[in-house]
Amino acid sequence: MSADLEFGELVKLYYGDLYRFGLSLTGSEADAADLTQETFYIWANKGHQLQNPASVKAWLFTTLHREFLKGCRRQNRFSNESIDERMEDLPNVPAECAERADSRTLLRILGEIAEDFRAPLVLYYMEDLSYKEIADVLGLPLGTVQSRIARAKIQLLRRLSETNLPIEAK
Amino acid sequence: MNTREAKEILFLYRGPIDDSDPQFRAALDYAKSDPKLGQWLREQTKCYDALRAKLRGTEPQPGLPDKIVRRRPIPFPRDWSRISQLAAAILISASVTALLMKWSDRRQRPVFAAQEILVTGEVLDMTCYIASNLSGPAHAYCAKVCIRNGEPAGIKTQDGKVYLLTGEPGQSINTKLADYAAQVVTIKGKKSVRDGLAQLQVEEIRKL
Repeated sequence: MSADLEFGELVKLYYGDLYRFGLSLTGSEADAADLTQETFYIWANKGHQLQNPASVKAWLFTTLHREFLKGCRRQNRFSNESIDERMEDLPNVPAECAERADSRTLLRILGEIAEDFRAPLVLYYMEDLSYKEIADVLGLPLGTVQSRIARAKIQLLRRLSETNLPIEAK
Repeated sequence: MNTREAKEILFLYRGPIDDSDPQFRAALDYAKSDPKLGQWLREQTKCYDALRAKLRGTEPQPGLPDKIVRRRPIPFPRDWSRISQLAAAILISASVTALLMKWSDRRQRPVFAAQEILVTGEVLDMTCYIASNLSGPAHAYCAKVCIRNGEPAGIKTQDGKVYLLTGEPGQSINTKLADYAAQVVTIKGKKSVRDGLAQLQVEEIRKL
């Protein structure tokens, strides 16, 4: 199989997932497309350094996330504020509330969550990655990733319910 | 484990994808024995599925994959074993060339070992002497200033041979020589010659 064909196959396989990851991080279709292109561009230059072919997907996601963070730093809009949500206040959001939310609202709510928390949450929802794999993609300890997902999820559900339906009592 | 603890653990449970994750096992077992918790778990899993479907439902622009493939940089295959072979060949070749050049240089331009001699003659400001043939008492003041300011100094013997005067390596002797500019002195020093240029490393100066 030629290198061009291999590259094309790889693009076909992962561009959708990467684009959606980028879209959830940035909230912008143009930025998501740019991030996806940039990720594959980096792959074309450095992908041969990857020793384990099984971790191509994780490599691509890590690269896209890294490029996203670089962009945040360039634009000086990096926010690492913590989410102060307590596990005792778990929201009880009915599934129909999530079903009624449109994608645009969901992206807007995600955009309001601090970057440090948004990426693990997006990977938690969108990709079939284990917690360990999510931790590897983001270069964070497993415990940190789980804690961030939990707190970000509470915030997402709370904001979602404020937008659609009131939170039911626990 | 109580219901609250099980709920906190299961808050991150996503469904079948997490079934093999041991951290959920005990809490899932507990939920089987607690119908209310089981109901909550089903609802939260359904909620997860709904949000996942929304997020995964967005389709990228139609031309994006083609754009990515077109923008792909031309790969430059790097065969590191060949590159290191090439680097070694260049290194060996450069070393051999340098050695040959040095050997050739030594053959063509012999260097005579320094020998101690006594030379008597006029102290010159070499810049003015070589460029304008200026020397003698009429040029004494200029020579003094030039030598003091760091211009090269020399000595011209009565038989017309000229030596460049220097101090010990790294040490200027110009201040001392400036006092003898255009005067006839005897200098004791080490003579060495390269490419036809004679140099005298000054050890002692005596005015006649």
